[in-house]
Amino acid sequence: MTKRSHQETSIEEPHSVADMGKNLEEDNMDELLAVLGYKVRSSDMAHVAQKLEQLEMVLTNDNDDVNSNALNDTVHYNPSDLSGWAQTMLSELNYYQPLSPDLVPARICSEFVPIPDDDECCSSSNSSNKRIRLDPWCDSVSSESTTRPVVLFVDSQETGVRLVQALVACAEAVQLDNLSLADALVKRVGSLAASQAGAMGKVATYFAEALARRIYRIHPSSAAIDPSLEEILQMHFYESCPYLKFAHFTANQAILEAVTTARGVHVIDLGINQGMQWPALMQALALRAGGPPSFRLTGVGSPSNRDGIEQLGWKLAQLAQAIGVEFEFNGLTAQRLTDLEPEMFETRPESETLIVNSVFELHPVLAQSGSIEKLLATVKAVKPSIITVVEQEANHNGVVFLERFNEALHYYSSLFDSLEDGVVIPSQNRVMSEVYLGRQIVNVVAAEGFDRIERHETLAQWRKRMGTAGFEPVNLGSDAYKQASLLLALFGGGEGYRVEENDGSLMLAWQTKPLIAASAWKLAAYR
Amino acid sequence: MSEKRINMVEKSNNKRQRVNQVPEFNINDHHDVLVEIFRRLDGPSLCSAACVCRLWSAVARNDSIWEELCFRQVSPRPSLSLRSVVSALGGYRCLYFLCIRPVLARLPKVLWTRDQLQLSLSLYSVHYYERLHVGAWLGDAPPSSLMFLRKPVNVV
Repeated sequence: MTKRSHQETSIEEPHSVADMGKNLEEDNMDELLAVLGYKVRSSDMAHVAQKLEQLEMVLTNDNDDVNSNALNDTVHYNPSDLSGWAQTMLSELNYYQPLSPDLVPARICSEFVPIPDDDECCSSSNSSNKRIRLDPWCDSVSSESTTRPVVLFVDSQETGVRLVQALVACAEAVQLDNLSLADALVKRVGSLAASQAGAMGKVATYFAEALARRIYRIHPSSAAIDPSLEEILQMHFYESCPYLKFAHFTANQAILEAVTTARGVHVIDLGINQGMQWPALMQALALRAGGPPSFRLTGVGSPSNRDGIEQLGWKLAQLAQAIGVEFEFNGLTAQRLTDLEPEMFETRPESETLIVNSVFELHPVLAQSGSIEKLLATVKAVKPSIITVVEQEANHNGVVFLERFNEALHYYSSLFDSLEDGVVIPSQNRVMSEVYLGRQIVNVVAAEGFDRIERHETLAQWRKRMGTAGFEPVNLGSDAYKQASLLLALFGGGEGYRVEENDGSLMLAWQTKPLIAASAWKLAAYR
Repeated sequence: MSEKRINMVEKSNNKRQRVNQVPEFNINDHHDVLVEIFRRLDGPSLCSAACVCRLWSAVARNDSIWEELCFRQVSPRPSLSLRSVVSALGGYRCLYFLCIRPVLARLPKVLWTRDQLQLSLSLYSVHYYERLHVGAWLGDAPPSSLMFLRKPVNVV
């Protein structure tokens, strides 16, 4: 009795102990659960209630072997923390849910009201579904204001499935050039996405926007993108999730292993951006056994950022001076990477070990045929000791639009999931990161021809290209693997982030879906 | 000053002189001993000690104390060149608070090895560079590439 007076609760307590078993998820969680050994904060109660309702819905409708296996494999670290426990279960199950359209919950099926294509009826039929579903719940639960949010959540399980179905249907319509149907479907997707909470809703919103742009042919050309905005978005993306840090640190590790005895090091960075990769390398060079080598950095950037590149060159020089590394910076601006010629780099092969570094810079080159071959020929001509390449691990460059769309949907769903479930980041950072990824989504789906620069390809595809161009792979050592694992462990997310080794290259995966691949290459020896 | 006041000042001066004639050991007069003692403390105790008084707070800022704390569990000892690099990047105290302590907190089961140290140093250098460069064009936004270390992690 004394406990109740200290805790605020908006939920009425049941009138009998018999109800307690049925209503454990909703009523009297704070007192009774505490007695049972579960810790739920009173402020979290409604939220935990929703999660447990959702979980119960999924569990009782579970007729899928995959899901039950997932439950067995789930690892819980603190079962008395009900909120966290429910979240683990849900994230294990939710991962499978949105992507298997054939999962139709049995209980909801009997009350399913077919939704007409006309979106005006959409909201009314949705609410009629809610009304239908409210009745069975009313039996076991006293009518309170809190049941309504619970039922909404149950609804979102189904809208998640319907959302994916609608997205794919819309893409199919676009593929078949049935633009009127596609137009109707994209509006439906928009309204469904708006009511879907979490990562799924956000991804769907971006894909809906991209589809709409494709249908109405209003994609802005990539040249119109404001570069300073691009930089700001990338900075936020850098800060909020480990992908760019993984890319930089892994590439740096490969470089360090290649220059253990070099007197001079020259790095050509095909995309200098803000130069965030190089402080860590310079620090590691400064502490190299046997003393630091001289370090020369040639950064390639876009002509609109000439001042920015000069600025960052000065800052890197300041850092180098502070830590005692002999440093030289060269900024090159080129509208396209294929404009680069070997002479521009002013290599000094007699005194310097040359490295070429590309982090997400190779795939835009695929927009023009013949360009990648020219670029790789230029790289080969400067005779680097090692080339580090980091690219997205996905095939977003297929010829068939529908295949590209499905791949991209799967890929970006994982990415958005990781933003949601990883380390808690301020909402502004997350929003900016989502905008950054959203622009990639719009480009993959809506753009064509020279404008479509997000032409991601898988590691297997890049291996073929590099092999044809005359390069052979260099294995990334165990140090790179260890460092990457440590870095990811710092990002939390319930160990959702994983490093995978793939034939000497490293892949960063979220919940077993590989997202980024880092590899190293050298000139193939002549046979 | 009034007569009464002058008298009081004279009396306290006399008392001080009398006290000075009898040598007393006061730990606060021997900063080097204080430093030696602080070097043997662990993180939380050191922070508590730094809250005792202004003198102790100033002494606790001595970077060699924090160097000791950072490398206590690392063997073999890192090279001396490390000291100049870390000082240039902002000192061991900042390194401890910004990188090493959050890393230790996030990875308690793992032994503290050179790998974690290397990772911490990499992150630290990124932070230094961010303070130098990024702040300039992002307006007055503070550097936040290490923010992921400070924020709570979803415990699952």
